[in-house]
Amino acid sequence: MSNRRSRQSSSATRISDDQIIDLVSKLRQFLPEIRERRRSDKVSASKVLQETCNYIRKLHREVDNISDRLSLLLDSVDEDSQEAAVIRNLLM
Amino acid sequence: MKEEFLKKWQMGLQIYRPLIDNTSVSERRKAIKLSADVAMASLRKGTTCWSRALIQKTATEDNFLVRQMLSGIKAETLINKKLPKVMCHRKIVRRSKKILRRRQSRSAIEEVAAKARKLVKKKTQGLRNVVPGGEFMSNDVLLIQETLDYIVSLQTQVNVMRSIVDAAEAGSERTAYYLGKLKFAIEDG
Repeated sequence: MSNRRSRQSSSATRISDDQIIDLVSKLRQFLPEIRERRRSDKVSASKVLQETCNYIRKLHREVDNISDRLSLLLDSVDEDSQEAAVIRNLLM
Repeated sequence: MKEEFLKKWQMGLQIYRPLIDNTSVSERRKAIKLSADVAMASLRKGTTCWSRALIQKTATEDNFLVRQMLSGIKAETLINKKLPKVMCHRKIVRRSKKILRRRQSRSAIEEVAAKARKLVKKKTQGLRNVVPGGEFMSNDVLLIQETLDYIVSLQTQVNVMRSIVDAAEAGSERTAYYLGKLKFAIEDG
């Protein structure tokens, strides 16, 4: 049991080429900048991983930004205005 | 998926409804974001690692909200579920790799390949840092699968939230128009 685990952890840091190809094809739809590279798959693997990280961070920032805007909206809107009613209906 | 997210997010915000007028902007912002995160994570019904990790993380920030948003039993198991103990034992891996390296003589090609592998490992670690629960995914295959699912979920979250805030910011006269678009966009899926 412990043998298997130690073997697993030493290979856990590698990603196989098949998995990279799979990931690239799936990420293509999100990241049009990734082009097929004729060089080693490992070089493009790190690029794919980097782009993925960047993309996720970008999405996080967007969520934060939208949350900011929404919280300000709820604040700035008059209690009885039509806008307040609309926002309330949308969100609540 | 968009409709489900919106419903759950609204449910989360409903919990804050009575408080919304008396809270500060930053508290409101936190409520909006946390309910959006729990809504997004709960769509996976505990089937993915990232969603469980996100729920646990949110529970540490607002236990009450998480419990309210998830149905009773599920909330308990998801919040208290022990995260897997198998972490990447980096020290052991590093030590064993050092020993291996001393025994090997390197050609130029091997050097390049080794550098590429190192870079991939570094980027993989970066990915672990941005995906919830990533630090517990020592299996790279799992990490990639979780990442893909997480991205899809994040996109849904962003799209719905963006529609809402755009509609809300558009003002009362144009709101009817946006509401129609929003309805269409959500139903279109």
